[in-house]
Amino acid sequence: MNPDVAGAIARLKAAGVLADGPAAFFDRVARRQLVSVRFEIRALLYAGVLLLTSGVGVLVAEHQQQIGPLAISAGIGLASLACFAWVIRKATPFSWGAVDSPNVAFDYVLLLGLLLLAADLAYVEVQFTVLGPRWTYHLLLVAVVYLAAAYRWDSRTVLGLALSTLAAWRGISISLVHGASSIDDPPLRVNAIVLGALYVGAAALSVRLGRKAHFEEVYANAGLLLLLGALVSGALDDWVAWPAWLLVLLIVAGLVVWLSLRLGRPLYFAEGVVAGYLGLVRLIFEPFQSSGASSIPLLLSALLGVGVLAVIATAYRRMREREG
Amino acid sequence: MRADSVAWERAAEVREVAGGWRRAGFIDEPTEQAIREAFPDPCVTPSLVWRVLTAGVLAAAIKAAFGAFAIAIGRSPTAAEIVSLLFAAGCVVATERLEASPRLARRGAAGMTALLGVGLLLLALVLFLTETASRRIDDHAIDLLLIASTLAWAAACWRWGSPVFAALAALSVFLFLGRLPHGRLLWLLVGAALVALAARRLDTASWAPSHRLGAAVLVVAGIGAVYAAVNVFSLDEHLLEEMVRHSPGRPPSSRGLFALSAGATTVVPLAVLAWGVRSRRTFVLDTGIVLAALSLVTLRHYVHLAPLWTVLIVAGAVLVIAALVVERALRRAPAHELAGFTAEPLFSDERRQHALQVVPVVAAFTPAAAADRPGFAGEGGKFGGGGATEKF
Repeated sequence: MNPDVAGAIARLKAAGVLADGPAAFFDRVARRQLVSVRFEIRALLYAGVLLLTSGVGVLVAEHQQQIGPLAISAGIGLASLACFAWVIRKATPFSWGAVDSPNVAFDYVLLLGLLLLAADLAYVEVQFTVLGPRWTYHLLLVAVVYLAAAYRWDSRTVLGLALSTLAAWRGISISLVHGASSIDDPPLRVNAIVLGALYVGAAALSVRLGRKAHFEEVYANAGLLLLLGALVSGALDDWVAWPAWLLVLLIVAGLVVWLSLRLGRPLYFAEGVVAGYLGLVRLIFEPFQSSGASSIPLLLSALLGVGVLAVIATAYRRMREREG
Repeated sequence: MRADSVAWERAAEVREVAGGWRRAGFIDEPTEQAIREAFPDPCVTPSLVWRVLTAGVLAAAIKAAFGAFAIAIGRSPTAAEIVSLLFAAGCVVATERLEASPRLARRGAAGMTALLGVGLLLLALVLFLTETASRRIDDHAIDLLLIASTLAWAAACWRWGSPVFAALAALSVFLFLGRLPHGRLLWLLVGAALVALAARRLDTASWAPSHRLGAAVLVVAGIGAVYAAVNVFSLDEHLLEEMVRHSPGRPPSSRGLFALSAGATTVVPLAVLAWGVRSRRTFVLDTGIVLAALSLVTLRHYVHLAPLWTVLIVAGAVLVIAALVVERALRRAPAHELAGFTAEPLFSDERRQHALQVVPVVAAFTPAAAADRPGFAGEGGKFGGGGATEKF
């Protein structure tokens, strides 16, 4: 039981703020006479999909000789099709707005179908070298399939997967399983910047055109992660051109902070502030690189931190005022 | 905790629940406003993003200032001790000041200064012990440090109410107990006692909401300790005995003890699950699910029922089917509820949960970057996600 909420319900009911019906229902929930296990069901589904795809991966790796490539690719393909058949049967009609999932399992069966399809495509490519030296394009194909599925079945989760797969195609990994790739390689950095800018543009277009406007956060966060990550990497790791990278970083971070304040998006603001802060810390430490351990850059960093805290407090107040 | 802080916490809890009622459409805006007026909360409470950002930048600033002073004063351990103590005292005073101000109490800064205050206090103790023990931390020093850590985190939890501090206190006490003779038995007994004591406080009205949350953390820690003590793999591999101060030879476990432990590895998760279902406490249920999964992994370690791929696929399919069966049973039940459980979201923020779901899925299932896969053409490659990376 939550004694504070249960007590509050009784008080609100006595004061006539809550009607008898809702108050009785709220009281049941507060006293744990009715408990939702929706999170647990979701977690089990997620774990199930994780285990299933892992099992398929191990099966293919260990038994491809005995089973044969055709049987394996056909088997995975059929399993994927079965998932899609279920998804198509259950799906609600397409809409450019947000669409509620028909049931709690929908997102996970869709995810399973897509992951099996991606695994199948990868396996076919490895076994039959369909694309030959341009094998990396299979990642692009997978990303496009994910993207189409995300729009058709209105899944932000699948959209996130599409964007990270597209990044993987360009050589940038943001996977925990394979380890995030370092973007200190200049071509990768450029790829990250271009992709990041594209994603941010897609976020803006989604809202402006009213086409899946709720995808904005996924697009923009992925875009800012890539864009600001690449610029921070340039400012910290490029020993020659770091001042140029830093300048661009500070301009972009400032722009992100300004736009986030106008749009009322705290997460974008945080990303901009952290990126700008890291760049400025690099600037503070640069003159002291050769003088060994010195307390001055640390002290300046601390003062910078205090300044950033003041900016955060002001930004929060402004955002609240803007929201009314 | 300060009386004001407790009152603010209680009001905030009611207002947050009322926000859920409104989001779910059970009450209208004027009703929510009336509730907010009935339970005034003077605290400014930014969203999680603001709090984490504030805490992170503050931590960076304090650490930088600490480093600057430590370098300026000199490299002697005594100087470092003094700086640590001064900063610890400063952080504690700052926490008290921040906690007393409704404008600042819930902005992420108070939690971070409290964490750093206790952390720096313990660092000062480490430096002191290193200095007095000829620059070497011995067994007694580790014991003393763990006792101090337990007391400091417990006091911080009691004073400032953070459940994270409860978890750190529990971790410290079990690490200390693990170093004593009969550490496994102590984990079992103290773990069980902790569960019994903390469980009684979960619904105590006189306790602040954050203290009740701390009690829930202690229940989970106690259950975890009991399970770690009885788990057959832990017994077989002497995992807890590795912590003992002076480790004599490890005699193999007797057959009877092994069998008893194997039985307990099965029974404990089931008992926790049963408790979770009976009490309808989802955190107990979740703990039971995690322990059941660990027991199945333990079973697989000792009994090779089937090849790994079969186990993974069957386990995955069972989980998915079980989740679907439970969901369907709840959905088709009268009023969508069965034995006090429902699959309906009730008052939780579904949109937020969907947004949060993106992160683990992308982290687990994103394929490796193209550049990470040398020798794909003609030399095999990889695919997969969620640990499914395989080479052909």
